[in-house]
Amino acid sequence: MANRVNKIVLCLLALPALLVPLLCLSYLLMRGLPGLDSSFFGLSTLEQNRDGASLSNQHGIVPQIVGSVLLSALACSIAMPLALGLSLFHQLYAGRHSRSFMAHILTTFQSIPPLVYGLCGLVVFVHLLKWGISLAAGAIVLAMIVLPVLTLNTIHALERIPLALTESARSLGMSAGQIIWHVWRPKAWRSLLTGLFLALARTLSETAPILFTATVFSGVIWPDSLLSPVTSLQTHIFYLAQEAVDERILAHAWSSALILVTLVIMFSVIAHFLNRHSAKQ
Amino acid sequence: MWLRSWIIFSVIISAALIVLFVGFLANASLPFFADYGLSPIIGSEWYPYEDLYGFLPALLGSAWAILIALAIALPCGLATAIVSVELLPQRYQSAVNLCIDILAGIPSVVYGLLGIALLLPWLESNLDLLSGHSLLAAGLLLSVMILPTITRLSQDALHDIDISYREAANNLGLNWSQQLISVLLPQAWPSIRSASLLATGRGLGETIAVMLVVGSIDRIPEPWYNLLAPAQTITSRIGREMGEASVGSSQWSALMACGLVLTLAVTLLSLIAHTPHKRMAHG
Amino acid sequence: MNTIHNSAQAATSITSLSEKTDSQSELLPAQNIRVQVNKLSLKRSGRLILNKLNLRLLDCGITSIIGPSGAGKTSLLRCVNGLDKDWKGDITIDGIASKRWPKGEDALRQHIGLIGQKPTVFPCSIANNVMFGIRGKLRKKDNSELIEHCLKQAALWDEVCDRLDHNAQTLSLGQQQRLCIARALAVKPAVLLLDEPTASLDPRSKNKIEASLQSLSKTMPIVVVTHDLEQVRRLGGHTLFMCDGILIEQANSATLLDTPQRVETREFFQWSSCDCPPEENE
Repeated sequence: MANRVNKIVLCLLALPALLVPLLCLSYLLMRGLPGLDSSFFGLSTLEQNRDGASLSNQHGIVPQIVGSVLLSALACSIAMPLALGLSLFHQLYAGRHSRSFMAHILTTFQSIPPLVYGLCGLVVFVHLLKWGISLAAGAIVLAMIVLPVLTLNTIHALERIPLALTESARSLGMSAGQIIWHVWRPKAWRSLLTGLFLALARTLSETAPILFTATVFSGVIWPDSLLSPVTSLQTHIFYLAQEAVDERILAHAWSSALILVTLVIMFSVIAHFLNRHSAKQ
Repeated sequence: MWLRSWIIFSVIISAALIVLFVGFLANASLPFFADYGLSPIIGSEWYPYEDLYGFLPALLGSAWAILIALAIALPCGLATAIVSVELLPQRYQSAVNLCIDILAGIPSVVYGLLGIALLLPWLESNLDLLSGHSLLAAGLLLSVMILPTITRLSQDALHDIDISYREAANNLGLNWSQQLISVLLPQAWPSIRSASLLATGRGLGETIAVMLVVGSIDRIPEPWYNLLAPAQTITSRIGREMGEASVGSSQWSALMACGLVLTLAVTLLSLIAHTPHKRMAHG
Repeated sequence: MNTIHNSAQAATSITSLSEKTDSQSELLPAQNIRVQVNKLSLKRSGRLILNKLNLRLLDCGITSIIGPSGAGKTSLLRCVNGLDKDWKGDITIDGIASKRWPKGEDALRQHIGLIGQKPTVFPCSIANNVMFGIRGKLRKKDNSELIEHCLKQAALWDEVCDRLDHNAQTLSLGQQQRLCIARALAVKPAVLLLDEPTASLDPRSKNKIEASLQSLSKTMPIVVVTHDLEQVRRLGGHTLFMCDGILIEQANSATLLDTPQRVETREFFQWSSCDCPPEENE
């Protein structure tokens, strides 16, 4: 009897974890879907001034999407080679002490709030190096945020490769480069891609660190260079949400949020899919 | 050869980024501590225009928000982990995992939007408030955001329990609840403890969602345990004022000092979370 | 006549002075020394695993190493092959110090083949497994001949010749171990070291591997670490007995097995002749 009561109590406590995501998603769809018309994407210019001049231009939401994706892609293309290099250092050159030191540093930096990285980026890149609010500053800040995660993920992927394989390749006289290419790459590439897609999803959903370092609300459509500011989906939603009075503005925010969540979930699903396959292997 | 130079290059760059990070965070916030000493940390007034920088309202706000979040997310997350690992058959586990993944995947700004649209009106109508902007709203929102962290890490902890413990518990004739309380939870406890510490760190650092629902009023609530009044957390203050503060001003370095305090707190939590628990060390 | 006699006498006296304890050179006097290990010491977390060990391998023939678990047999092989690097002492291979190997340690490991206790095949086809160590160093057309040659040397060709493109992980353990030998041979090593190559195999595979080792030993020096005293007898050649990182005794295999000189060796044989199974060597 007590058993059953306990189980029921536990199930009731677990319910929010199942209901809240469904509630969130369905509400998001309900509010966001109606706004996804052609003018939202800037495909028709008929009603371009419907939401007021500050909200929409003839390109609709497209510049924000491009800005977000550009920031993520840049951040990951900065962070991924560094993460690979760091994890190879961890595997090939680091001794026992420097390995545990690296692991400590990485987990510590992984737990530091993204906002603080944003502050650091603001001080160093925006003001000290005088890049201004720019794509490059935002990308580097985001790269710093995902670097520990990516590195830890890569290290785990490499550590899962059986030591016996590596050792027998070494005893055949293969060089480090050959071992990496012929033994490690076939074993680890799925996990590495999983990590990469998770990092993309992560950078897409970070808002606070790029708020002061990379993005502006309006005035920019396409970034001209690495040193020009961009607009991004995340910060766009934030600015709109702050104004949360006008129903039309809110509708715009919901549609943008729907696009953002779709992008993030898409990358997560790809990562999940790759990961399942690597587990099967 | 290119391999070696690439590895050395990335190590140097990463080390430089770390040094840069620590160095400039300290460098930008030190002027504040040099000018005002450590007393602002317990000061209760924050008026940048009058050079009053008391951290206490924001610290109290952060503490309340994360306490509310933990009070909700810890039992719920733990229960979800137990239900999914111990009760549900394999097939439904992946459904639970999917829900948790969705929860973790929703960006914080979207949570903020959801908070504004759903949570605030609900609080206003149910608790009869003028505005739903409050520490309670922030805590509720945070609890949803740290729920995935707690659930996932607790799931891992339960999965990692050696099968022999379960068999031993079965052989002793313990029923399900007794097994859970006397065998499984004690075994998983060190991981659950570090899971909640990590979730605390994550919640303390959460910015955008909190900023949108907390109200951003720099006052200690009246009375101090009034969770229904608009308040401020460390992150929401930084997020609100960073855009306005001029470079090098005392407000600027005060905000940097807030960032430093936040970093130190979160780093401490992470260090505690990652040091092995004493009971584990003794076997 | 006199001078010849004198020089011969001088030569004998030098041998008896410097190599009194080394019976190997007396057994096979005409051969070159291929591998010479001098005062090899290895420390792992404060424990001395190899303690000033001396060893020499000649042109060809099988040398078996026996001894209790933890005697440092595996570590010795790993040091000679260069997998372990933090040892002290001298290892000279074909007259060149192994720490100053001309083209680096990777080339050294190609020179000295090492085969582990558990067969580790790479997750690719049988043919690719054989060619794994020399990928990119050979033109395509040479491959099939070399693969056939190596597989024949490892006594595996007859069993796999019709399915070279199959995944190597589908082979039985005994076949996998022979595939590992073929893979090591494809790199054309000058010396072959085997660490308990038959520890986890059935008698039939054991037999095949021993036969292929014996034919290989005509052309290169082979070192086999083993726990199987019967195997030592079958392989013949020379045998070393190691204990606690020290070389206790070495002699012709049959001699050592039948009339061990040292107490430690006799004790070890007594334990081995009991029906206790040999311990796993990590």
